Amino acid sequence: MPSEKLHTLSVFSENSPGVLHRLTVIFTRRKLNIESLTVSETERKGVSRFTIVVRSDEDTILKVAKQLERIIEVLQVNVFSNGELLFKEIALYRVAADSPAKRSEIEEVARRYGAQMLNLSPSAVVLEKTGSEDDVNSLYLLLEPFGIREFVRSGRIAIAKNHG
Amino acid sequence: MPENKNKKVSGAEAIMMSLLNEGVDTVFGYPGGAIMPAYDALYDYRDRIRHVLVRHEQGASHAAEGYARVTGKPGVCLVTSGPGATNLVTGIADAIMDSVPIVCITGQVHKKALGTDAFQETDVIGITIPITKWNYQITNAEEIPRIFAKAFQIARSGRPGPVLIDITKNAQIDTFDYAYERIESTRSYTIITRPQDSEVDQAASLLNNAKRPFILVGHGVLISRAEEELRLLAEKGDIPVASTLLGLSAFPADHPLFVGMLGMHGNYAPNVLTNEADVILAVGMRFDDRVTGDLASYAKQAKIIHIEIDPAEINKSVQAEVALLSDAKEGLRALLPKLETKQRNEWKDEFKRLTEQEQEKVIEAEVNPQSGEIKMGEVVRLLSEKTKGEAIIVADVGQHQMMAARYYQYMKPDSYIASGGLGTMGFGLPAALGAKLGAPSREVVAIVGDGGFQMTLQELGTIAQEGLPVKTIILNNNFLGMVRQWQELFFDNRYSFVHLDNPDFVKIAEAFRVQAERVENRNDLSAALDRMLKSQKAYLLDIKVENEQNVFPMVPAGASISDIRLE
Ligand SMILES: Cc1ncc(C[n+]2csc(CCOP(=O)(O)OP(=O)(O)O)c2C)c(N)n1
Repeated sequence: MPSEKLHTLSVFSENSPGVLHRLTVIFTRRKLNIESLTVSETERKGVSRFTIVVRSDEDTILKVAKQLERIIEVLQVNVFSNGELLFKEIALYRVAADSPAKRSEIEEVARRYGAQMLNLSPSAVVLEKTGSEDDVNSLYLLLEPFGIREFVRSGRIAIAKNHG
Repeated sequence: MPENKNKKVSGAEAIMMSLLNEGVDTVFGYPGGAIMPAYDALYDYRDRIRHVLVRHEQGASHAAEGYARVTGKPGVCLVTSGPGATNLVTGIADAIMDSVPIVCITGQVHKKALGTDAFQETDVIGITIPITKWNYQITNAEEIPRIFAKAFQIARSGRPGPVLIDITKNAQIDTFDYAYERIESTRSYTIITRPQDSEVDQAASLLNNAKRPFILVGHGVLISRAEEELRLLAEKGDIPVASTLLGLSAFPADHPLFVGMLGMHGNYAPNVLTNEADVILAVGMRFDDRVTGDLASYAKQAKIIHIEIDPAEINKSVQAEVALLSDAKEGLRALLPKLETKQRNEWKDEFKRLTEQEQEKVIEAEVNPQSGEIKMGEVVRLLSEKTKGEAIIVADVGQHQMMAARYYQYMKPDSYIASGGLGTMGFGLPAALGAKLGAPSREVVAIVGDGGFQMTLQELGTIAQEGLPVKTIILNNNFLGMVRQWQELFFDNRYSFVHLDNPDFVKIAEAFRVQAERVENRNDLSAALDRMLKSQKAYLLDIKVENEQNVFPMVPAGASISDIRLE
């Protein structure tokens, strides 16, 4: 088996209905699971950018990229390994905090790990963390003993280190 | 030509005007609720658009394919929503595999009812995304001219393929100011047709330095009308030429450089010698697994030059040393002046030697049997002789399809029409009627099996109603022959549900008012073929052939092409 690793695809397409469906069938046909996905408008008018993270071997992903480029609405597809990218994701954590003591402990963790405190309610706090998937995971482990009530993370957004 | 000046029309009429703007004169269709406005508009265009009422929408899709394959123009289907649309699916899937341009127009429920499980509402866009080159749902009449222009351009350009346009009922009824403009490309859809000079130089140098070069040609040569360039190039370099199933008829069968067909039931020499060539020039073909057999042992010794218009096909299955991302015609044209004139008698002799072996062990008994029941190969070879290799042969899928490919000597382009990539039983008869409409001056003969014929035989009704002189030959072995062959060879003779108890095909044809006869004896064969060919009308021959005949040579599934079996 060729070795599998995480690849990030930047797919630029016309912003029209159904493009996401067209993209995903290419992955489903090969039974590739999409690890994360984000979509947004770009600096070019009417052009959307899909950032898709998939675990696969290099050969497969390059073939997938060419098949994605074959879609009429798709303008361009770039494939990156982690080393070639600047990438971030954002995560929100709702953590149980039913006493002032606990709350200040959580605040301390947040401060050390560069997380923002968004909201306080009598029983919980909501933290926001922006960083790599690993950063988000480490903070999760630290907050787990307090009791994580709810957790959500965005997909990866990424930009190439070298332009061109 | 209709006027392009603005004129207030209904969406339904705009569909007809758009078709005329694209030069469409033939449509294969079947009416129903959601497409009724379009049919009502068609009523006024009967003098300019020939509508062929098929007996099942699958028939419309294959007929459109047959039409497209012989004309190079997109074939058009017009059907209703729901079941009408889903019945097209097999033909659309067939067309994407074989790069056939068809434009399917499906009716859809009113825009307001979309997504509500309204009567005969099916998500045909969702269903056909994976099997179309492009599809689009029109919900406003104003979109019609632009989307039709785009659809036809996408279907026919680059690597051709099927396109589907779904049109809601309101968009057929509403009126707007019609104006048509052709579209050549869009921001996200541009096609590279000319190869890069550096790649052409590299390819030429590989070929000029080769000792054992070999040309493999596919459907792309026919699609881009590159037959002449191919012939000139092969002759200049004195390079043997073999064809894929769908590339048949791109190179004349009687040419001294033609060495036969590649693949599972192809010829012996080209399969074996693919693994002996030092440079392979592959033109407009995609190294399908039926051609390559086991990839790990396919042409490992050869440097491969791949001329291909679809970037996704380059290095997909086989790694190319040099890739010319281009139209086959442009690629060959660029290569021709850089190729050196050569003589390669020793290399050609190797092909001759292996061809003689195949002739002796397989072909002779197949085309010149002295006794026993009629053989499929002898029927095909006799037909080939009687039509001087100039008919259009439309095959269904199975043993007879391989026999039609192997034993007819194709002399003119676009003469072997078959379902290659999808292997769709039921393709033959409807595709033949489409081919006849596209090439009325040519003899069109459908060669079908008794199994596949029964999947779409209702299209005899269409053939009769339209008065199309389509000739049909059933090579009747009372078996699903190809499956039976595999069961015999690879499943220990366990014949699991492959025997067919058939109806009287002659009576069936006659009930459709198609003249027909049955042939059971070798002595009657020639005269029956003559009568069929002489007839100016549709004609069917039900020919009883040897029941348990096998197609050889054969590359067993998953085996190397070097291990091709002669018996
Ligand atoms: C729609 C469809 N169903 C099943 C198959 C599988 N299949 C391939 S060849 C074949 C047998 C065809 O039998 P027949 O039409 O009698 O032709 P023969 O092989 O006997 O010449 C079958 C069942 C297919 N290709 N297409």
